Formats: sequence, C-alpha cells, structure tokens
Amino acid sequence: MTRLILQMMIAAALLAPASAAPATVQPMDAAGIVSKMQQAFFYPGESFRARIKMTLKDVSGGERFRELTMLRVNMPGGDQKYFMYFHAPGDVRRMAFLIYKYAAKESDRWLFIPALSLVQRIAAKDSQSSFVGSDFSYEDVSGRNIEADTHKLLREEELGGRPCYVVESMPKAAAAYKRKVSWIDKTTFLPLREEYYDVQNQLFREFSAEEIKEIDGVPTALKRSMKNVKSGHQTVVEFSDTKYRLGLKPEDFSERALRNPPGSWIK
Amino acid sequence: MRKLRDFSLVHFSVDHPRWVVAVTLLVTLLALSAFPKVRTDTNPKNMLPADSAVRVSNDAVEKTFGLYEDMIVVGIKNEAGVLNKTTLEKIKRINDGILKVPGVAARDVAGFSTIDNVTVDKGTLQVGPLMPEAPGDTRALEGLSKQLFENPMFVGRIISGDGKTAAIYVPLEKGANGKSIADKIREIVKTEGGPENYYVAGDPVARDTFGAEMFKLMAIFAPMAGLLMFAARYLMFGDLFLSAALMMDAMIATIWSMGLLIALGYPIHIMSSMAPVFLMAIATDSIHIFNEFYFRYREEKDKKTAIIKTMEAVGRPVRYTALATAAGFSVLLFMDIVPVKIFGGLVAFGTVLLRVLSFSFIPAMFTFVGEKSIEKASRGEDAQSSRISQFLAHLARLGAHKPQVVVLIGLALFVVAVYGTTRIKVNNNMVEWFTKSSEVRTADRVMNEALGGTSLGYLVVGSTGDEDEFIKSPQALRYIEGLQRSLEKLPTVGKTTSVVDYVKRIGRVLHKDDPAYDKVPESKELAGQYLFLFAMSAKPSDLDNVVDPYFKKANIWIQLKTWDAGAMHGVIEAAQNYQRDNPFPVEIKPAGIAYFNLVWNNAVLWDMIKGFLLALVVIFAILSVNFRSVKWAMVGYIPLLFTVILIYGAVGFAGKDFDMPISVLSCLSLGMAVDFAIHFINRFRLRLAEGRGAAAPESIEEALVWTAARPGKGVLRNAILFAAAFSVMLFAPLTPYITVGAFIVCMMLLSAVFCIIYIPALIVLFRKQLFAA
Repeated sequence: MTRLILQMMIAAALLAPASAAPATVQPMDAAGIVSKMQQAFFYPGESFRARIKMTLKDVSGGERFRELTMLRVNMPGGDQKYFMYFHAPGDVRRMAFLIYKYAAKESDRWLFIPALSLVQRIAAKDSQSSFVGSDFSYEDVSGRNIEADTHKLLREEELGGRPCYVVESMPKAAAAYKRKVSWIDKTTFLPLREEYYDVQNQLFREFSAEEIKEIDGVPTALKRSMKNVKSGHQTVVEFSDTKYRLGLKPEDFSERALRNPPGSWIK
Repeated sequence: MRKLRDFSLVHFSVDHPRWVVAVTLLVTLLALSAFPKVRTDTNPKNMLPADSAVRVSNDAVEKTFGLYEDMIVVGIKNEAGVLNKTTLEKIKRINDGILKVPGVAARDVAGFSTIDNVTVDKGTLQVGPLMPEAPGDTRALEGLSKQLFENPMFVGRIISGDGKTAAIYVPLEKGANGKSIADKIREIVKTEGGPENYYVAGDPVARDTFGAEMFKLMAIFAPMAGLLMFAARYLMFGDLFLSAALMMDAMIATIWSMGLLIALGYPIHIMSSMAPVFLMAIATDSIHIFNEFYFRYREEKDKKTAIIKTMEAVGRPVRYTALATAAGFSVLLFMDIVPVKIFGGLVAFGTVLLRVLSFSFIPAMFTFVGEKSIEKASRGEDAQSSRISQFLAHLARLGAHKPQVVVLIGLALFVVAVYGTTRIKVNNNMVEWFTKSSEVRTADRVMNEALGGTSLGYLVVGSTGDEDEFIKSPQALRYIEGLQRSLEKLPTVGKTTSVVDYVKRIGRVLHKDDPAYDKVPESKELAGQYLFLFAMSAKPSDLDNVVDPYFKKANIWIQLKTWDAGAMHGVIEAAQNYQRDNPFPVEIKPAGIAYFNLVWNNAVLWDMIKGFLLALVVIFAILSVNFRSVKWAMVGYIPLLFTVILIYGAVGFAGKDFDMPISVLSCLSLGMAVDFAIHFINRFRLRLAEGRGAAAPESIEEALVWTAARPGKGVLRNAILFAAAFSVMLFAPLTPYITVGAFIVCMMLLSAVFCIIYIPALIVLFRKQLFAA
C-alpha cells in the first residue's frame, strides 16, 4: 500500500510539469487525474493552518455556525496529522479534535471534552459519516483512499470558463454513494464540482468550490459548500488566516496539545 | 309557469323520443371520454386545505426537525427469536433491498444495519451502524444482543422486548406512493421466505392501499349495484326494456356527474367515490313514475295519454323530492372540508340531472315500449289484488285506526333511541377501515403488540422566551424527561424518544457504560458537549429530528399503539396536566400524523353534523313550501326525524364508533327518507282533492289506505331497490363501505315502513288541526 502511494506520488511528480503547461496537456488516465487532485486538495504544503467558519443551513433558512482552527502537517508516506480547535458555539469552546490519518489504515481520532476534562478516543468506523454535524463527511475533509474506487474519465469540458476533466468514481465496496462525478480543474487540479449519486442513482449531494485564490503560491479553495440535495441541508465552509508551510512539528500533535493547545496555534 | 315548462319537456320528449335519446347518449359518451383522466386522493391531509392551521403548523414542525410526512414500518418476526445468524442475514438483505426502492428516503432508513449506535469498546467511543454486517460467530451475536437490549433507544423501537420481532422504519420521500412501496417491500421479503413472518404497516400503507381498493370498488360496486337494481326491477315489472331504461337513467346521471367532476380536474376522494352508489339509489325515485304509469295505463289503455297523465300526477312530488334531496346534499357545499364540499356538490348535481332525465329521457323511452308488454306488466298492478298493496293497506289501517297506540309505541322507541345516541363515541381509525383479517390490519396489530407502536405523533416543547440553547439546560432536559415518563403511563403510548435519551446515552457511554450516569447531565456545557460529540459522528438527521438548530425547541417522538384519533387526544391532555403540575416557561405543541388525524377527523365530523342540522332546517322549509302548510310539513317531518334518531340510537347501542363514513350517512338519510313523506302526503292530498267532487267522498281513513296501497307501493319498491343497491356494499373489503351499506339497507326499509304507519297515524290524530281550513 505504501509502495503504491509512493508510486503514485512519483507519478504525480512526473506529471507535474504537464500541469505547469496546460496547453500541452496529454490525455491522462482517470486514476492519475484523481491522484493529482488529492495532492492539490488535501496535501499541498508540508503544513497548513486556517481559521474555518462553517455555516450549517437548514431548509427553513435557519443557520448554525461552527468556528474552528484547523492545523495539518504532512508525514512521510502520505500520512497526515490534523488538529482542530473549536471556538464556537459557546458551549463547545475549547473542545479539540486530533486525527492521525494513515494512508494504509483507518485513522485514529481523539476528542477533548473540557466539561469532563476527558480525552476520549473515537473510532473511525465510518469515514463517510458527518463531520461535526455538517454535510461534509470525514472523507470530504481529509480525503478518500484512491484505491477504494474505480475511476473513469468521462469527458473534458469547461465549467465556469475553466477547462476540466470530468471523472466518474465508483466505490468498489458498498459506500454512502454509488458513484461520484467530479469536475477537476486542468490547471490547478482542484475539484470545482462534485456530484454524488445514491444507490437509486439519484443525485443526493453536491460539492462546489468557490473563491479559489493563491495563498503562499498554492491555489486554495477559500470557500466551499456541500449541499444535500434531498434534504435541502447545506454547509458552507470559509477559510481565513490561511497559511502554508508553517514549520509545524508532527510530535506537537499530541494529547497535551488537545488539552492545552499552544497559543500560537489558536490565536 | 314552471309547471308549464316541465310539461312541455315531457310533451317534447314524447313527441321526439329519438332526438332526446340520441342527445342523451351523445352527452354520455362525451362525459365518458373524461374518465381516463381520473385521479384518486386518499391522503387525509387533503381533507383540509393546504392553508389550514394544522397543516401549516405540521409542515413547519416537519421542516424544523427534518421529519418525514410518511413512514412505513416493516416487521420481521421469528417465533424462535430474530437474534440468529440466518434471520439477521435476512434482515440485512431486506434492509439493503429497501434502500434501493425508489421513493424511499434511503439516508434515514432506521433498521439494524443502518441505525446509529453509540458504544464504548476498549476505551474507544464508537458511533456507527449497529449491525453493518450480520454477525458471523456466537461472540459477535452476543455482542449485538447486549447492545440491543442495553440501549433503551432500541428496545421497543427496532427490537421487541422478547427478541422475537425486529423492525425497520422506512421514511418516504414527499409524494411517494405508500402502497406501491409497500408492494415492493413485500416482494423483497417474499424472496427471503420462512420461518420468519413479515409485516408491512404504517399510515401510508393503509392510506394508499385504501385508495387502490377504493378505485376498484368504484369500478366494480357501482355497476354491480346497478345490475342488482336492474334485476330487482325486472322482478317487479317483468319488462326488460323498461328495467333497462331505469338503469340507464341512473347510469347516465352517474356518468355525467362523475365525468364533469373528473373533467374539472378534481380528484376522487373516499366520499365522492361513494357518489355513484348514492346516485344509483337516488335514481330509484323514478320508480314512482313507473309505478304510476302502469296503474294509469290500466285505466287509460293509451300509452301517450298514460305517460302524460302519469307525469301530471307524480310530477309535483318527484320535483319536490329531487329538490329536497338536492338541498340536503348541497348544504354540504357550505362546509369547510374540501372533499365534503365536493361530495355534496356532486350528489346534488347528479340529483338534479336525474330529475331532468325523469322528465325527458324516461318518457321518451316509454314511447318505445310495445303496448303488449305494458299490458302484460300492468296486469299485476291492481291495488285490490296485489299482495304487496294489501300488505301496505294493512299497515296504513294500523296507523289510521289505532293512532294513539302507534304513536305511544313510537314515543317509547324514541326515548330509548335518544338514550342510545348519548352513548355514541366519536372516533376515527383508518386502519380499522380494513377488515380484521386484512393484511394491513394484521400487520398493524402484530407490530403494535410487539413494538412501541406504528402511529406517530410529536410534542414540540419550546422555550416561551424563544431562548437560544434553552433545551441544553438541565432544567429543560429534566422537564422533558418527566413529560416523557408521564406520557408513557398512558396505555396507548408505546414509546417516546427525545434529545434527553441521546444525552443520557452519551453520558453513560463516556463513563465506561456505567448505568449510574444514565441521567441528565448537571450543566448546560456538559449537555452541549455530549451532543456535539454525538453530532460529530452520527448522521446529522439523528439530532435534527429531536432538536431545532438553535436548541430552542425539542421534539418528542411519541409512538402510539393505536390509530384511534382519540389516542392523540389523550396525549395532549396528559401533556396539559403535566404542564399544570410542573410550571416551567415552555409551550407544548402537538404535531405529526396522529395529531393531524385527530384534527381532520374532528373537522370532518363537525362539518357533517353542522351540515346535518342545516339540512334539517332546509328540508323542513322545503316541506312547508311543498305542502303550503307548516302543520303538514310536521306530519311528514316527524317520521323522518324518528327514523334518523332510531338509527343513531342503534349506532350508540351497537358500540360502533361514530366515524367519518357514518357521519356521511346522516345527510343521506335525511335526503332520502324525506322522499317517502313527500310522495305519500302529496298523493294523499291529491286523492282527497280528486274525491271531493264525487257524490260520496272517501273518508280520510279510506283515502289513507288507498294512498298506502297505490303510491305506497311505489314507496316500498323505492325502498327495496334502494336497499338492493346498497346491499352490494356489504361485500366490500373495506369496513366504511360495509357500514354505509348496512345502514342504508336498514334505514330505507325502516323509513318506508314508518312513513306508511306513522303518517296515517299522525294525520288521523291531528285531523282537526290539519283540516281546520
């Protein structure tokens, strides 16, 4: 598995010049496109920090907010560590979340519950379950194993004036969706739009990336939304104070940080 | 003036019979062409307009809490227990199969393999589907069993306390058809086979199955009723052609009015589906024309003269009975409930049509009959020799010669009946509209015995100050918990679920599954963090269903073990009592399908009762105008009222719930029974007037006996035909039709007999007052 990821990373590295010169893009295989997308979307920079505002919108126009700071550091072999600290809503302030994501196995998750002063380990049984009650799943936040799906390049077309690959991904094992269609920007390799179809082959979830800006030289989707077409529920995520390559140390992503995060992390 | 116009219609029809028949058939074909567009609507929601208060508030609750309007409950029962590998594998496959059925809201199906479970295993909190795969070994099986029975949110919901029944809750997308989804689910469970039994229950199943059955009934029973009446008429008159003409009269009026209704784009509701049978029955009133025609033909020996003389004699009562019947039904147009209005309008319109046909189509058809067959048919129509006429004459003599005794017996019966009406219980239960052994009712009974209940109501507990985060406070949580416990004391309440159950569950799980922590947390922060933790991993809908986004309100799910409208009434009362005993700044509002059923059920009933009272007034007015006398109107009115009270007294004694179908009957009974009185009194007075010029005028008693023997025969024939038409409904697979059928049969025969006994009795008793002028 690790070997495979390495291979993919090498492949991605080899393909990198192609993306620098979009005019001469070679026909790519679908898995290669998805792999590049994952690199551009989930892995850019050796580390990353952003203040995230989540707006959970229900059908009747009601809105709930979550505010958190997210930090990420990349590890060798495609592993990653995430730290999330909640600022709002009030009763969950100081709750913090730590995820060790492994390329080859299910991730480890811990949650700090300040009212009980308890660090609770949480199983990652279902990475397709909701992320903090939003319409995003854990997978949407930290990526899905590329091998879990078979990918097919459907066509190439423009979306909002940007040339895109349209890739269809179908899970090999039972999953929350039966197929996913992604519009992947040929230049930045960011997913601009994703459509999720359920077992009845009906569209039920829609992702879209809005407001793409270069931060520290990395094209970043500063605003993204996920809409549940069936329930009408929608979550909008906005990034601010975004920064790449902060020089974070992986060993700082610890239980101690959960209980007492460094001031520089959560300012 | 009006008389003249009607007269000319009869003359025209007799003179140009071919024209009249051709035009009639052409319009019938036109009306038939609308039939393929027919739509049915059995959704009780549409009984009330979309902007009615209960619909608006129910929609708001559904929106706030992301709830589904409709839910099907699938039960899997194994007498040896469901917790074994084979049954669990079946449950898993059924669950997976259901997810693929179009119209099923797959994301929120709650069964073993999809419901979220919160557990702690080796210090790790797990939130995820309870049974992603069927357990492979005994250990896994034991683990599942422990998780199921230790979690109060599962017991009584997805597993029965005895472990023999498992359930899958299947929410439906808006507008999905419950019956077709239930049929697909039945196909899925069929492939799994025994020893397990499978049950498909829930409001959408009952409702949409009812709709499908209703459609069948309409297509089968209305023509069958027509056929039966045809046969009865043939036996009475022995003439095929005329019997057919009478049936055509009814069919044509039915087709015209139903065709118009469909063409106007109205869907058919349960009430309007009964309209064809009603119209068939009302059409029997034209029997008076036939009845008189044969008598007249014997006297006149000329067909054309007989027709015209017949119309002269019966024209007035036939017109007034039509007017009374139409008025009785058209008062329903002033009611609030849409299907009641449509039903009233439809039957009133059909009644008017029937009368127009009586003055055109029927006389035209008479002209086609050969003189010989009339001759043959009329041979039996001799008031002296006919056995029926003699029997009727006996009845009338009884009333005329012993009026005091007859009236006293009547009064005694009346008192008993009034007592009976006080025992009437108002209730409505859609599942009980199916016969006891039907699949729908069996499924419902089994599921309600094993689990918390298939009927769902909600109580929304909200902060009166509209305060954010209100529900997370320990006080609010404890208040809700207390309310749940007091509701669960009601025998009709099977199970309640609220946000408190989630909070308590997480508290316990976070404390190493220690039952001591199965309680409301001490602080608002702790409750908030528990819920946040839960929301971090569970389906968002889990929490959305029980709290609003701002935690201002909580939604308590109440599973009821019966579809009786009264059950939700009990819940509301219990909540009010709890509120009174435990003052707290909250308001409690009911919602959900059980609450809706309660509201519309009451609305329909009161509408019908209002309509009935209004019809009473209108019909009395019509009688007064027709007889040009309030006193005579009273004479006609009393037997009518007597019949109605007697029947409702019987309803009370029989312990039959006064439900929607029975309330429909009240208007019908008035509109129909009044016909007999109108015919009887009109013809009696005509007879007296005719005889007055004679040398030796008949006594009142003699005239009464004559009326009973001759037009009375028409009344009885009318009643018998009517009863015949409705008797087919006794064989319907749906109880409302059976009820309606049984009642009409009793009522028609009863009111015909009462009319013939009591009108003479009253006339003799009050002769001084009546003939004062």
